[in-house]
This record gives sequence, C-alpha cells and structure tokens, in this order.
Amino acid sequence: MREQRVLTQFLQLLLNGAMAGTILAVPAIGLTVIFAVLRFPNFAVASHATIGAFAGYVANVSLGLPVLPAIVVAFLVAGLVGLASDELILKPFRAAGFITTAIGSIALTIALENVVRFMFGNELRGYDLPLMRDWRFAGLRVGPQQVENLAIALAVTAAIFAFLAFTRAGKAMRAVADNPTLAGIKGVNGETIARTVSFVGMGLAGLGGMLLGLDTSIDPLTGFRAILSIFAAAVVGGLGSVPGAVVGALVVGIGEELSLLILSPNYRSAVGFLAILLVLTVRPRGILGQRAY
Amino acid sequence: MGFLNVAGVVAGYTAADEILKGLDFTVAAGEIVCVIGPNGAGKSTLLKAIAGLLTPSRGAITFKDRSLVGVLPRDITRLGVAYVPQEHNVFPSMSVSENLEIGGYVAPARTAERMGQVLARFPVLANKRRHAARTLSGGERQILAMAMALMVEPELLLLDEPSAGLAPAAAERLFEEVRAVNRDKVAIVLVEQNASEALAVAQRAYILVDGRTSRTGQARALAADPDIRRIFLGG
Repeated sequence: MREQRVLTQFLQLLLNGAMAGTILAVPAIGLTVIFAVLRFPNFAVASHATIGAFAGYVANVSLGLPVLPAIVVAFLVAGLVGLASDELILKPFRAAGFITTAIGSIALTIALENVVRFMFGNELRGYDLPLMRDWRFAGLRVGPQQVENLAIALAVTAAIFAFLAFTRAGKAMRAVADNPTLAGIKGVNGETIARTVSFVGMGLAGLGGMLLGLDTSIDPLTGFRAILSIFAAAVVGGLGSVPGAVVGALVVGIGEELSLLILSPNYRSAVGFLAILLVLTVRPRGILGQRAY
Repeated sequence: MGFLNVAGVVAGYTAADEILKGLDFTVAAGEIVCVIGPNGAGKSTLLKAIAGLLTPSRGAITFKDRSLVGVLPRDITRLGVAYVPQEHNVFPSMSVSENLEIGGYVAPARTAERMGQVLARFPVLANKRRHAARTLSGGERQILAMAMALMVEPELLLLDEPSAGLAPAAAERLFEEVRAVNRDKVAIVLVEQNASEALAVAQRAYILVDGRTSRTGQARALAADPDIRRIFLGG
C-alpha cells in the first residue's frame, strides 16, 4: 500500500515535471536563440518574462480577453520591448565584449522589473480563469488549464522548429548563428537578423512568463524567480541549441519536481544550480552541444 | 576599361597595417588568373579587399567600371563577384541543400532552378543533399563552398586556397571542377599555395612578394621560368 502511494507520488511529480519542463522550454528557447545569434547570455529574459506576464494580465483581466489572445499580446508586447531595449541599450554594449553585454543585460532587467513594479505595485495578481475541476486518472490529477498551457507550449515550440527549418528567415538566422561573416558575404543582413531574434526571443520570454503565471500568480519578480531554471535549461541542453533548450528544460523541469521527493520545496532552486554545475563539469558544451538547430 | 581592375591598392587588417603596398592587378572576362607567393605576401588580403571584407586605405578597385571600394560584401556578391574563403566557408550545422539555398540568398526567385543546375553539375553534392555540411570530407566541403558561390551565377569567382589541406587526389578533382566552371565563361581568381597545379590551371599568373607584384605573365611561361621553378615549384 505504501509502495503504491510512493509510486503514485513519483508519477504525479514526473507528470508535473514534464508539464513544467515543456512550459520552461519556451523562454529557454528565447534565451538560446538570442545567444546563438548575438553571442551573449541575455539575462533580461527575466524582466521580459515579467513584462509578458503583465501584458497578458492587462489583456486578460482589464480588457477581458480569453487566454489565447492574451498570450498573443504577451508575446507581442515583450517582443517589442525586447526589440527596443536591445536596439537602445544592449547594442552599444556589444562592441565591449560578451561579458560586458551580459552584465548590461542584468542591469537592464533590474531597471525593467522596477518599471513594472512602479506601474503595477508589488502585490500578487491572478489571471481571470474559469474555475474547473481537476481531471483524475489512475490516482493522478491534472488541471484542464495545465493541459491547455502544455498544448500552447508544444504548439509554440513546434512553430519555432518549423520557422527555423522551412522559412527563408529561419534558415538565414541559422546561417548567422553558424557563421556570421559568411552569412554576410552571402547576402544575409546581420542587423535584420539581430532585430528579428531580439523580437522573437524576448517575445518567447514574455509568452513563457505568462504561461508560468497562469499556473500560479504573477508579481514583478515572476521572471526573476524563473531565470535560474531558464538559464539552467539552456546551459544543460547546450547554449545556442534550440533542441538542446527543449531537452534541457525537460531535464530541469522534471529534476525540480522530483527533488520534492527528498527535499523541502525551499531547496527546489538548488536543482538548477546543480544541473549547471554538473553539465559544466562533465559536458561543458551541454547535452546537444552548441548547434543552432 | 577592363573587367576587374585593382590599381595601387594599399590595404591591411588595421588602419596602420599595410599588407598590400600599392598592388596593381587585373582580370579579363572569362579567364583564370592565379596568384601565388610566399606566406604573408598578401594573396588572401587581395581577395578580401576585392570581396569588400577589407577597405583599402588607398587605391581603386573596379568591377566592370564600378568602384567596389566601400561597398558591402553582400552588395558585391549581388554585382556578380562571388568570394569563397579558405576556411569556414560552409555552414556546418546546415544541410548541403540549405547551404546552397543560403548561397543563392540574394536571388531567391532563381534558387530552385539554380539548385537543380548546381546539383546536376556536382553529383557528389546531389547524393548528400540532406547531410549536414560538417559531415562532408574536406574535398566535398570545398566543392560545396564553390557550388554555393555558383548559386548567384557570378561572372567572377574568387577562390582562396581551395586545395589547402586536401589529399592530392581530392585536390586534382577540385582543379578539374575549377576548369569546368571556367568553361561556362566564369572568370576565376585562384589564390594557391600549390603553385604547380595553379599554374597548370590558370591562363595568367601573378607572383606576389611582400604586398607587391613581383612577376606577372602567361602562366605557362612562368611555369617554365627557371627562377620560379626553383623558388615555388621545388626544382
């Protein structure tokens, strides 16, 4: 009987972890595509996740839009802020090297987070979601909203893969990630690709921020709390690799949930650190290496 | 005026750095010109200056009477001058056909048609069109790099040491392909360490020493010259 309960708990955590990991993959892809093209870890993914979560909140709660259109708003607003913040603030840092730019992105994320705090205050806010009973099967529970979030995350990930594999802009982006000088000779405009990647990458961060918030609540620290897991997912899979970000997100998502079997939830974020530490020690290029695609 | 004219070009990797020290160089339409010389003579620098990757501090470069100085590399590609770097000349994580597609990026409307022609010309690439470029052998990779350049139907092809690092048989095949490409009226500038092969393929040759032209003339005559045989051809 006791074994049965432990097994059910294990399966429940595994299920939760797989769902959390699929959602985590969205902002992790954002971080990794920006790294693949612009060659620096953009920690401002944190504040853009928060901005997306709040933009979606305004669309959902203030304007009364359903979740799906609100998610599109989250993507667009975070993407546009990402485009502007990269163009105006981070671009001038890039000539000074990737460490300076990465530190600049930390400063940017703190500034943007405080703009959100100034506008919305510190309290927790929840989305306007219909109340629904959890589904149960074989002793496991799953919320309909969680399943919807999972479906959105899967659809977005599939769309990104299709974009990179089949479109001219997606292939140009991979070419720049592979060899920016050669891509320039062949006619790809690196500036346009940099702008596209800032928009799409930060848009994904914002969409991911809202998906994370749909499950719980949001506040100005929503993105900051998630950034370690997002960064860990990208590093574990191999910074710059899109399939790597998906694999890394699943590893970190499942790892964080399974850690609850032996650790108090307070130590959950240690899993992210541990994953980064392990990967950097054993396989510094990440599980799938640094291939863009 | 000629096809490609380089006159009095001074260029290097920084403003103070002069690798080319007033170089004169011409290419006529449809010919193969090889450039040989010791390491550091400025052979690759010359190609980079023509391709727009370096801006000369002095001198003029014109292609069909149009100045190339200060023009972006991608716009030079559009004008019909295709440059193939010595290294890092393919996109390793992308498939052969995706590499060709990016090769033809400036002319998207013609990509499908050109891809068919290029794959028909290089069956070795057609057989591996779905393979990632990083899985190709050294010789196949050089052929892919040249095929990518041909996707824009260039009038002038700039090849930077295409045979470097290749086994003799692979280098031989590559020079065969260079001749075949030239038969379609594509002019070629061939920078080479492999002087005897390069002189055998080319119609005219330049010997660069220390950023200047040391000798120039018909490739066959230079190949027969005792001094040049001694220095570059090993006897």
